[in-house]
Amino acid sequence: MRELPPVNTGLLAEMLERFLAEELRASGLSGYVVGLSGGVDSAVSAALGVAAVGRERVHALALPGPASSPESLRDARAVADAFDLRLETVEIAPAAETLAVALGARADRVRFGNLLARLRMVALFDRARTVPALVLGTSNKSEILLGYSTLFGDSAASVQPLGDVWKTHIFELARALGVPDGVVGKPPTADLWPGQTDAGELGFDYPTVDPVLYWHHDGGMGREELVAAGFPPALVDGALSAYRRNRFKWRPTVVARVSASCMNVDRILPRNPER
Amino acid sequence: MGKAAPRAAEQVIALAQIATCPGQLRHNLERHMEMVARASAAGARLVVFPELSLSGYLLAHGVLEHALALDDTRLNPLLQASREIALLVGLPLREPHGGISNAAVLMEGGEVRGVHRKLYLPTYGMFDEGRYFIPGPRLAPIECSLGRLGVLICEDAWHLSSAVMLAQDGVDALLVVAGGPTELDGGDEPAASRRWHWIMGATAVTTVRPVFFANRCGWEEGILFGGCSWAVDPRGRSLAEPAPAHEETLVLAPFSPGAAARARTLAPIPYAERFDLWRAALERVGA
Repeated sequence: MRELPPVNTGLLAEMLERFLAEELRASGLSGYVVGLSGGVDSAVSAALGVAAVGRERVHALALPGPASSPESLRDARAVADAFDLRLETVEIAPAAETLAVALGARADRVRFGNLLARLRMVALFDRARTVPALVLGTSNKSEILLGYSTLFGDSAASVQPLGDVWKTHIFELARALGVPDGVVGKPPTADLWPGQTDAGELGFDYPTVDPVLYWHHDGGMGREELVAAGFPPALVDGALSAYRRNRFKWRPTVVARVSASCMNVDRILPRNPER
Repeated sequence: MGKAAPRAAEQVIALAQIATCPGQLRHNLERHMEMVARASAAGARLVVFPELSLSGYLLAHGVLEHALALDDTRLNPLLQASREIALLVGLPLREPHGGISNAAVLMEGGEVRGVHRKLYLPTYGMFDEGRYFIPGPRLAPIECSLGRLGVLICEDAWHLSSAVMLAQDGVDALLVVAGGPTELDGGDEPAASRRWHWIMGATAVTTVRPVFFANRCGWEEGILFGGCSWAVDPRGRSLAEPAPAHEETLVLAPFSPGAAARARTLAPIPYAERFDLWRAALERVGA
């Protein structure tokens, strides 16, 4: 069976740190704001941010929701301690409950989960405004390709250092960067309701699905080739189905072009201001 | 890979591996002036900057605003500096009759000595240069006090015929400037840097000319560039340690036209070029 290619964690970390340093310099802002969930992605993003621009320029927020497990907040603190970050805790539960009641969304765990993810985005961008800072994203390539994220929620950020990094490699990167073992070793979860795990929802874990995604997305292999290569048909069908279904999340907004000067179509310009 | 022994009375060519930012001309110009000062202090005769070093690479439609004509006063600090040390600088060049070229401009003695306009504009994968630039119309050496120099910009060097033509035109050295993006594939260096070193080495050995390769490093718009600037002699020996992938670095490499000429006497490969085969092949493919 085909595997995911190896990762050189030292070179990758060094390059991503320079990416974060350069994006901050080019933006002219003061720092990064990152939400620490207690999971491995946000731990790695924060660690890279600290190495890139210094701990005093990384503002960490814990944003526990009404159903967040106590372990999540504990692990977020462990990550903040590991990288010497001050952790600000903002309770989003009261706002979430109020909004959910107003929308009639409280009883639907997916709707309520999306609402929590988007409220976290609101909190992060508000802090970003006050610093002023960029929001440091925590999405990884595997979840982006599978669409396992909330549009304009956890997927919303100013920069995504891990957006082209496979989740399997993020575990390795986390170990290399000194993320606490308990955070690296626990099952990935969006922590939107009790007992939720990525693998439980997706039907496969990342080390299992990453090679399928790699050989399809990067290697250009279709369903039959993947099955012939030895991947279980159910795994291939599940992965490819999510890949196709959620592709709209790669480009969250489509602008209707009605002129010859449509942004990002007829006029593609650098993101950062000129100085 | 062995290292060529230094010789007396050699000239030094400096390769300024810098990280530029698209459209931030002041920032980029500062990077240039700092490297010029360091190269000058190190006794270099020429400092070579990467592709589009003044403007940054991923300007996209920003070239419409940031393209420079050769008489643009914003080039004055560089022209002034060229009275002390020759410079090869990359910029989007506003052509007098319309169109913008991806150009490398050689400045020396306070004036422009020559311009190479990129011949091959990659427009595939992540590249979109054909959308913003017009292709250079010709390939010819540039003369300056260091000798007869062949300049190639990035993709130009991936068409091996470019270096072959310049070799037939009798250049003393090849200067390859690049804004080479790269991916990381698990190796100890960026994947593209490894490919570049293969191409530079093969180009040097088969044209029997020293090759000076200045690549940019750093990030633009989420795109990583691979650095690893390097110089290699006609026998495939390093003229300088390759720069690291990610660090702004000034590489100092000896340049000896005499040594290259001696290498061509011992290995007269370019003199044996079979133009009859070229001609036949061109006719066969209808070129």
